[in-house]
Amino acid sequence: MVTLTIDDKQVSVEKDATIYDAAKAAGVSIPILCHDKKLKPFGACRMCLVEVEQMKGRLIPACTTPVTEGMIVRSSTPPVEKARKLVLELLMLNHPLDCPVCDKGGDCELQNLAYDHKVNSNRLADEKFHHEIDYNNPLIERDQNRCVLCGKCVRICDEIVARGALTFISRGIETKIGTEFDGPLSCEFCGSCISVCPVGALLARPFKFKSRFWAMTKKKSVCGYCGTGCNVTLGVKDNNVLTTVYDENQGFHNGQLCVRGRFGYQFISSDKRLKNPLIRKNGQLVEAGWDEALSLVVERLKGAGSAAAALATPRLTNEELVLLKQLMTQQVGSQNIDHSAGYGHAAVSEGLGKSLGVVASSATILDIQKSDLILAIKTDIYETHPVVGFEVNMAVKNKGIKLQIISDKRGKLSRLPGANLLLNKPGSDVALLNAVAKVLVDENLAVTPAAPELAAALNDFTPEKVAELTGVAADAIRELARAYAAAEKAIILFTTGLAYPGADAQLAHAAANLAILGGKLGKEGSGILALQEKNNSQGALDVGFVPGQGGLDAQQILAGCSAGSVKTLLIAGENPVVSYPAQAVVKKALDAVEFLVVADLFLTETAQLADVVLPVCSYAEKEGTFTATDRRVQKITAAIPAVGQSRPEFQVYGELIRLLGGQAAATQAEAFAQISAYAGISYSELGEGGAFAAVKLQPVQVVPKVTVPGVEAGKFTLLTGAALYHCGTMSLYGEGTVSVCGEAYVEISRSDAAKMNIAEGAEVKLTSSTGTVSVKARISPRMSEGVLFAPYHFADASINTVWSGAAATGVTISK
Amino acid sequence: MSEAVATTETTEVEEPVIDLALAEEVIQKYKDIPGNLMPVLQGIQEAYGYVPRVTVDYVAERLNVYPSQIYGVLTFYAQFHLKPRGKFIIRVCMGTACHVLGAERIKESFHDRIGIGHAETTPDRRFTFELVACLGACGMAPLAMVNDETYGKMTVQKVDEIIKEYSSLPI
Repeated sequence: MVTLTIDDKQVSVEKDATIYDAAKAAGVSIPILCHDKKLKPFGACRMCLVEVEQMKGRLIPACTTPVTEGMIVRSSTPPVEKARKLVLELLMLNHPLDCPVCDKGGDCELQNLAYDHKVNSNRLADEKFHHEIDYNNPLIERDQNRCVLCGKCVRICDEIVARGALTFISRGIETKIGTEFDGPLSCEFCGSCISVCPVGALLARPFKFKSRFWAMTKKKSVCGYCGTGCNVTLGVKDNNVLTTVYDENQGFHNGQLCVRGRFGYQFISSDKRLKNPLIRKNGQLVEAGWDEALSLVVERLKGAGSAAAALATPRLTNEELVLLKQLMTQQVGSQNIDHSAGYGHAAVSEGLGKSLGVVASSATILDIQKSDLILAIKTDIYETHPVVGFEVNMAVKNKGIKLQIISDKRGKLSRLPGANLLLNKPGSDVALLNAVAKVLVDENLAVTPAAPELAAALNDFTPEKVAELTGVAADAIRELARAYAAAEKAIILFTTGLAYPGADAQLAHAAANLAILGGKLGKEGSGILALQEKNNSQGALDVGFVPGQGGLDAQQILAGCSAGSVKTLLIAGENPVVSYPAQAVVKKALDAVEFLVVADLFLTETAQLADVVLPVCSYAEKEGTFTATDRRVQKITAAIPAVGQSRPEFQVYGELIRLLGGQAAATQAEAFAQISAYAGISYSELGEGGAFAAVKLQPVQVVPKVTVPGVEAGKFTLLTGAALYHCGTMSLYGEGTVSVCGEAYVEISRSDAAKMNIAEGAEVKLTSSTGTVSVKARISPRMSEGVLFAPYHFADASINTVWSGAAATGVTISK
Repeated sequence: MSEAVATTETTEVEEPVIDLALAEEVIQKYKDIPGNLMPVLQGIQEAYGYVPRVTVDYVAERLNVYPSQIYGVLTFYAQFHLKPRGKFIIRVCMGTACHVLGAERIKESFHDRIGIGHAETTPDRRFTFELVACLGACGMAPLAMVNDETYGKMTVQKVDEIIKEYSSLPI
């Protein structure tokens, strides 16, 4: 610790602190423009100049100067004030004073500083800038005329997002921020640059002229897309969610959001929201009242027993899932409940459940930056969980944490400095992990000895044998094993979900075995983190929204619909027609089932087939809890009232329970108390940041079954997955996300494209044994020859017409 | 690596077809040296006479740096050129001494004869014309240079001679 004096206040801080940090600790506020707590010190703006007794004769930038023992700092002497005023005068010399029409007005740091320092005149005169405003993309407006060259956008895009879309161009008075060759912005559109811009140079276009900053109410919530559990602040005016508001102190991620979190909010107040219940009359869905709709549903569910089934999206709150589960299992008498097509949760529900003795990951997102080595299985974790991707970026770029990747394609993660990629044949992950385990055993690197059964099973997975199977050199497998063993702390990450059937129980077993053998469980910075697809995927497992004793899983429920044994199906928020594999099978089942009830925000492709459609609320209109993928339980409250006649599902299922003669929890707190996995967490005490549910590990070495999917010779291997800009099918209703990624595509390697003479953006037909789909080709340097990748979100060209749930599907391409 | 890539960037002077093998050669030379971006870019400029856009993307991929970052470096330093340059770079000094002794007329004479202004290149890529602040030989003012050759005590007649001389050389 170092002790120093700032404005006559003594303060002790860590020895790597800067004067700015120390001042903050001492409660002295020093004005800044270019400094951001998330970024490395830069020292560009000179607003933070202070006087230091020991460094007389010049003014010292507080944000870049480290503290020394006995330093005497004065933060607001006349020379300091004079210098700061000059800095502001110089900035305002070229900065346009168009505050009345600038969206940043009221939230602008330059405006505030000019006010604070009473810069009401300027001793200097010069022309304003005449840069052309970049309107070339639908989300981020770049007005260089307002830029103060603090460089925060450039740095955040590098240090945290690792995209590097922006740079300083030219020199001196001609300096500006821009892209390579000063072209239009083409990036991930996470909007991190907007969030840190102190002025109106970078603005969210969907929010332009929607509201003054101060006229909005800021409501804290939890993002409703992926399982990361990012906290968001919604800007609300007149009961409409108009934007997301950046709060650098919010959540473990310090307010960082991805494109979905920041720009995907528009679905909440979308015109397409269902506002009234719909009932099918004479083949048409027509608007009806809640009483009529619910009485129809009650009639069908009463005494239905196992002839009824429910599929729910893990986007519902824990409390809603509790009620829906109660409704089905107790009032209706059916154990046929499931989510995520029945396999999208298998890695955790079955895999980690058996291997770790708990249906959850052992590690949390916070462990990533505390680790020594990150082993990522597939590069897709960046696309499925972008903010977790930021954590990996920061771990690798800023902390030098090693990154090892096993993946069937390259990706953004494999371009991080020092990243080591083992490019394996699609679907061979389990075999490869087994080979790594084999090396741990053979080279005596295992901390926990292998159980005899596992040791025997691993004999079939020598690096040489597996090299043939996976296409990864035996030595590379050995090196990975040695690196994993050598790291004191190591964390394994993989993504699960609807589009990742390969991330199944077997993969989880294989990964868990590595962690067990390597002694990487039960300590900080180590373990396994399965990144689950939806915002409450972990909650659905904790609530136990899976088939009960003798119950059918999702695939069996659909089969039951087709066979006639399931006569009433309640689908809460899932959109199987687009997101489950084998569209033809799904459609046949939904056509066949006697009575289909769909509860959703929108008239989805699935809802269009329903007999009764119940309009329900988005996360912004309800109360309850979501459990992030690392078992962080977080509370949300309503930011706006229900849209139209829509109702929170907590109310809907509670009402159905009561109509069927049962007793439902009256409050969310009551329902929450019923979740045994959250014993010890008090609903009423859940504050910002939530609470982690306890995870007690009982590791067991389970022998994984290995099947390497084969694809017929001469066919391409089609991999399914998620696009960075989307999560499930809900983001297709978020205008912002759609505006930058709105249609289905397939990624193809450069060499295949050249061979087949396929141009970027050309329409191609993919044909498998189950069907054909027409999508746009994207020539991608990350794909290997013979391998294709297609995201699964898009209804217009739904990839499940050719994909029937295999980890790798054989397809042909035609033009 | 010998694939030739035609660029689509439109410049006043048509960009030639770029053979990336030259860039790869430069990269190989500095591949494993930390802080190799500057020497690589200098090497590329030496190989092509300027830094073609396709080589920026290529270097970005090979050295794993952002294309934007490379562009930032290229525009910061005056030494880098992003457009094709002439074989003969004519520099006319506009510094104080040269200015006093008639640099303006020298500049005008060059302009009249080769038809291009500051930082421009003739369509045949024979000449690039640049005005510079000081060449450090004020005793010889007014001063001009063609590549590494210095021409002191410039006159309008000498401009004619220089143009004649360099127009007769092969390009």
